[in-house]
Amino acid sequence: MRKMFAARLALLSPGAWVILALAASSSVAVALWRVPQRTGTDFWIFARQHLPIYQPLADQWNREHPGQPLHVSVIQFYALERRLLSGFLSGTPVADLMEVERMVVGRTFTGPPDDVGFTDLTDRLRQDGLLEKLNGPSLSPWTSHGRIYGIPHDIHPVGLAYRADIVEAAGIDMTQVETWDDFFRLLSPLMKDLDGDGRPDRYLLNFWPSPANRNLIETLVLQGGGRLFDDDGRPVLNSEANAHIVATLVTWLAGPRRMCIDAPEQTAGGDQMRANGTVLASLMPDWLAGAWENFNPALAGKVKIIPLPAWTRGGRRTSVLGGTMLGIPKTTADFEQSWRMAKYLYLSPASAEALYRNVRILTPVTSLWSLPVFHEPDPYFSGQKIGELFIRLAPDVPHRSSSAFTVPAIERLTGVLLSLRDYALQENRFTVEELRPEAHRLLDEAQREIAGEIARNVFVSQPAPAPAP
Amino acid sequence: MKPAVLRRHSPWAPWIFAAPFVLVFGTFVAWPLLQSLLLSFQQTYGPRHAVFIGGGNFRHLLDDPLFWTALRNTATYAGGFVFLMVPLSLGLALLLDRPGLRGRALFRLVFFAPSLVGMVFVAMIFFLLFQIRTGLIDSLLHALFPAFDPEFPWMQDYVMTSLIVASLWMYVGLNMVYFLAALQNVPTELLDAANMDGAGPWQRFRHVILPEIRPVAGFVVLLSVIGSFQLFELPWVMFDNSAGPNNHGLTVVMYLYKSGFIVGDLGYASAIGWLLALLLIVAAWVQRRLARAEEEAS
Repeated sequence: MRKMFAARLALLSPGAWVILALAASSSVAVALWRVPQRTGTDFWIFARQHLPIYQPLADQWNREHPGQPLHVSVIQFYALERRLLSGFLSGTPVADLMEVERMVVGRTFTGPPDDVGFTDLTDRLRQDGLLEKLNGPSLSPWTSHGRIYGIPHDIHPVGLAYRADIVEAAGIDMTQVETWDDFFRLLSPLMKDLDGDGRPDRYLLNFWPSPANRNLIETLVLQGGGRLFDDDGRPVLNSEANAHIVATLVTWLAGPRRMCIDAPEQTAGGDQMRANGTVLASLMPDWLAGAWENFNPALAGKVKIIPLPAWTRGGRRTSVLGGTMLGIPKTTADFEQSWRMAKYLYLSPASAEALYRNVRILTPVTSLWSLPVFHEPDPYFSGQKIGELFIRLAPDVPHRSSSAFTVPAIERLTGVLLSLRDYALQENRFTVEELRPEAHRLLDEAQREIAGEIARNVFVSQPAPAPAP
Repeated sequence: MKPAVLRRHSPWAPWIFAAPFVLVFGTFVAWPLLQSLLLSFQQTYGPRHAVFIGGGNFRHLLDDPLFWTALRNTATYAGGFVFLMVPLSLGLALLLDRPGLRGRALFRLVFFAPSLVGMVFVAMIFFLLFQIRTGLIDSLLHALFPAFDPEFPWMQDYVMTSLIVASLWMYVGLNMVYFLAALQNVPTELLDAANMDGAGPWQRFRHVILPEIRPVAGFVVLLSVIGSFQLFELPWVMFDNSAGPNNHGLTVVMYLYKSGFIVGDLGYASAIGWLLALLLIVAAWVQRRLARAEEEAS
């Protein structure tokens, strides 16, 4: 017996036995390891700034509903995007409630409607009478094939923030600004060469077709009545409105009416240019007002916001930039529970107040706009009641597409602007009329490219007839 | 006759030792490769819908102007980067290989240090350096030469230059180490003989050092070309998760990523991946053939 055991032992060297023993014991340990199973509902968010809003709400919920815990986790933006898409692609676990940014959500709508990983909330929103309570345009980014897949987190109306200290010291009355032409005419004396090198050291507006500023282009296009996609998701880049806007924007970027510089938001360089007065004004959605207050203290008390100057007199005085929804994946264990929590997290007065107080985001629930918090003066913005300003702008926010091809379309629009700017500089043409034909040609090229991409996907290029929500 | 300890070994022993690698390789490399090959013959719509389309993805790829833009950009980057990196790395290695140089270890560390940081970090540093007005490069050049435009558009009109400069900063020191190791292996008797024959520095370099370090140079070039064709994170981060202005920073791997994860066409992305693999295999084969031909000639 002993001999046989020794013979078996001799099959492998002592080192090999040690390796095998370690492998076996660690495998057994891993197999027997008890992973604590967390019960309750998981809620993933991507913005760390949202945690101070939701954590107290979750704590409150957990106190009131001890058997139904709600867990909030912050997951970095791109990590959450990857986990969301991986979950929908391959069935890896995702949370019961997920905040999803607008540029990401379209990617979940690229297949047939049955394959969308989020629960269709249209009927529940209707049954619970929420469709009437929510700001209408705020539903559009979360709507595909006429069905709504998320509760909107925000509206994100856009105003124009400007350096009130510099502008008012120059005796300029910003209430006189109604259009972009007014803005340029009244403020252009402030574009000065301060150090005598023959180049301006102060610009009027942060806008440039650069990667970091590219989303501003869509904001301005939508404000001017342009669109990237029609209601059926077909690209409509080459339209009269878009050509006019693109040509006008190029006159802001080059030539005698140049007024813009590239000072991207939430970058060190851009913030420095805002702080030292190199750039005087920025497009200002409500969330950015909160970001400035939280991360840009150098501007406290020096800035004010006005409605966005219109493209034409009497035109739209706002636009939209950014957006987030709360979606409930189909894999959620208990839809009713997740739905109750979603309404509590997004639609309750407590969440609306916390959202505005922490990050200045206006709730899309119109009935909550009467809460006192939205009518308080804001010392950062020179004592203005910016909540009231955003409430005035909110109903006029333009509709947006939820196309999966929004990002490629915006990138192509950025390319059109750059190419048109090069053309203007080469040909020395700096009026809208001179630039319009070339704008049409470039937009047509971009539209054909994006249409070619879309044509490969039958579910996007030939959308199913959609019932109205 | 075999020693006793070897005779005792079971015939299964090699399989047992190889099993962990085979399992891991099979699960995480071979199986995904096979899946991606199958995927490259399908068109995918959204998360769960796929249709077999034969060679449709590959045919579309050849007609796709964006793919050619990506390939052209990548080849330009690879050419520019390798063309500048090899002489710079070799030059630094030659400078630091001089025996009498004081502080040689410190210099080596300084030049090598950038390769210790990640590519994403490098991209973020150069994003800040190349900013108009507030970036160090424009600010410094404007301070030194007031005629220099403080809004010089590095990241708008000089995309490839910006990418190559950032890559050189990161990789010149790393490749310098390879060259340094090769230089230290050049037989001193050959150099002494060349000296005695009256060869000057250039002749020693041309006729003694260069032939001796050629295999390492070939290795560095091949690795750099392969690395260049896999370029993704640097432009993706430098250009704020985009292909840069007018797709000037679009690379093949970035196009693969965008097709698969932004547009959602995983089949097309797989086809791009397989074509890229084919290109790299051809490049490696050509490099090896050239190296072998040179070896035979010499």
